[in-house]
Amino acid sequence: MSALLPIKESFRSLKTNLGRSLLTILGVVIGIVAVVLVIAMGQGAKLLILNEVESFGSNMVIVRPGRQPEGPADLANTLFGESITDREVKALQRPENVPDIVSVEPAVIVSGSISYQDNVYRPVIFGWTSTGLTDFFNIYPEEGAYFTDEDTRQRAKVVVLGHQVKQELFGDGSAVGKLVKIRGHNIRVTGILPKSGQVSSFNVDEIVILPYTTAQKDLMGINHYHEVIIRTKTDADPELVASDIRSTLRDLHNITDSTKDDFFVVTQEDMIDSISTISTILTVFLVAIASISLMVGGVGIMNIMLVSVTERTHEIGLRKAVGATNKNIMRQFLLESIILTLSGGAIGTTLAIALSFIITIILRNQYNLNWPLRLPLGAILLGVGMATAVGLIFGLYPAHQAAKKDPIEALRYE
Amino acid sequence: MKNKIPLIQTLGLTKIYGGAEETKTVALKNINLTVNDGEFISIIGPSGSGKSTLLHMIGLLDHPTSGQYLFAGQETEHLSDAKLAHLRNQLIGFIFQSFHLLPRATVLENVMLPLYYSQLPAKKHKERALSAIQEVGMTYRLAHKPSQLSGGEKQRVAIARALVNRPKVILADEPTGNLDSQTGSVVLETIDSLHKQGHTIIIITHETPTAQYASRVITILDGQISSDQAISSKHKHYSK
Repeated sequence: MSALLPIKESFRSLKTNLGRSLLTILGVVIGIVAVVLVIAMGQGAKLLILNEVESFGSNMVIVRPGRQPEGPADLANTLFGESITDREVKALQRPENVPDIVSVEPAVIVSGSISYQDNVYRPVIFGWTSTGLTDFFNIYPEEGAYFTDEDTRQRAKVVVLGHQVKQELFGDGSAVGKLVKIRGHNIRVTGILPKSGQVSSFNVDEIVILPYTTAQKDLMGINHYHEVIIRTKTDADPELVASDIRSTLRDLHNITDSTKDDFFVVTQEDMIDSISTISTILTVFLVAIASISLMVGGVGIMNIMLVSVTERTHEIGLRKAVGATNKNIMRQFLLESIILTLSGGAIGTTLAIALSFIITIILRNQYNLNWPLRLPLGAILLGVGMATAVGLIFGLYPAHQAAKKDPIEALRYE
Repeated sequence: MKNKIPLIQTLGLTKIYGGAEETKTVALKNINLTVNDGEFISIIGPSGSGKSTLLHMIGLLDHPTSGQYLFAGQETEHLSDAKLAHLRNQLIGFIFQSFHLLPRATVLENVMLPLYYSQLPAKKHKERALSAIQEVGMTYRLAHKPSQLSGGEKQRVAIARALVNRPKVILADEPTGNLDSQTGSVVLETIDSLHKQGHTIIIITHETPTAQYASRVITILDGQISSDQAISSKHKHYSK
């Protein structure tokens, strides 16, 4: 028997019930769209985040108190760890301890809101140095100026506002020189950052930066830091710096067993690793959910194929009478269901590609996100592969029902 | 030498439907039948007598409950589904009372159907089907669908389909049952001409005149052969 004939036959029988065939594959189309879209968008999101992490430059190393979180429940260890204080910062600043460091900049995250007169807003309030933004991201105030190192030493009550924060509190009015309130303290605005959108892991427009000294002692009343951001020399190996940092802090804390570390060091590479892991887990999870709709589509296929087998009982009987083996009949019906799901897969994949293109454009234009358009070949192959598998799995039972029909009863069937 | 082995030979063929003692029906009882190459046999009997069951058994569509069936000298009891399908495809042609044409396929495609399950290379299918269609005089309706044909035309297409693989035996189950007498007679003439070309024909009917095309008439009653007689001169005109 020629290989092409059964395919032609299947197409013909599907074409005679075109409306029904199209409705049947709708479920598969939706399932495949979901799967391919999730993968494509997941890949895009991962690349976006990785690009942002890479925009930090590989010369950034972050030290945080506590131990590396091993899950959401473990985060408290990091947030409430108090092991990084001025003593640790000073030790890290000594070149004999960590030679390849350019700067050590402690940071404090201030919880609470910022207000001006009756306007209240909850941005990310970050106690940092004046040079952090310029050093790492090359962002300068569009109005006013950063606070100075002297301000940091003096614990001056001064603040730089992100663009969105300024808009929320002051509208179009001028803000530089005005006093805002954070946690009950009056703080003078020295500068406004330009509209910058998402930079690295945070949105610069939604940020408020003030001297870390002020944030730590006056606003939060604590003696520790939430993180220390370290800039290495450009030619330094971040992993080597990280290991210098670890031994310095272990010496300082008399830690001999590295599993008992009360701090952890994050390099760009670590971040990339953990982002990749998280995004892979998320993608797998979402694909699993999306697959459920594909399964539902498969059940629809099975249902219609069973109807089709019953409708064509005569035909099955006749085919057997003129020489079709059980295998021939089985193959014919399996092929039909596979062609059904495969066309669903093709339509679904095309739709998913179109949709991810549209979503990318919307994200770029509306949300100012440089979301990369990703159409991984893997996703397309997976979509088509899953469609075939669905056709095969859900077509098997109806095809088996068809194949095992008794020819005489099939011919007599009314 | 060739004719020493009968084409069809049944020994004590019995078919019982239903397993349980109280529901079981004996459809065929101890049938001993021998058919030689080139015979034109008519099987007659009232409905429910078991003649269709016998035809299905001869056509390898059904298995006997007991007894032996030798087709072209070959024991058929232990043949696989694939082997039986192959025999049906190559050696047997079926003609049914209700034609059983595929409604969505054209005349040509319907006739090509058995070739599709044969070993014949695909490029020869059309040529072979066309010659079968020509034999039944249906060449002028090649691209028509069955719904566009008259009853007689449908049955002629079905006959073309039955002979397209050049089978040894053609089994017809009341081929004129759904046709008026005139059309029926055309169909019977077509079948008769196949017989003259050397095909073995076994035809089921409950209309005696149809049976009179045959060279041998077998009567079945209550699952048993009640008479088996050769007919010397065949009637040439079919009338109800």
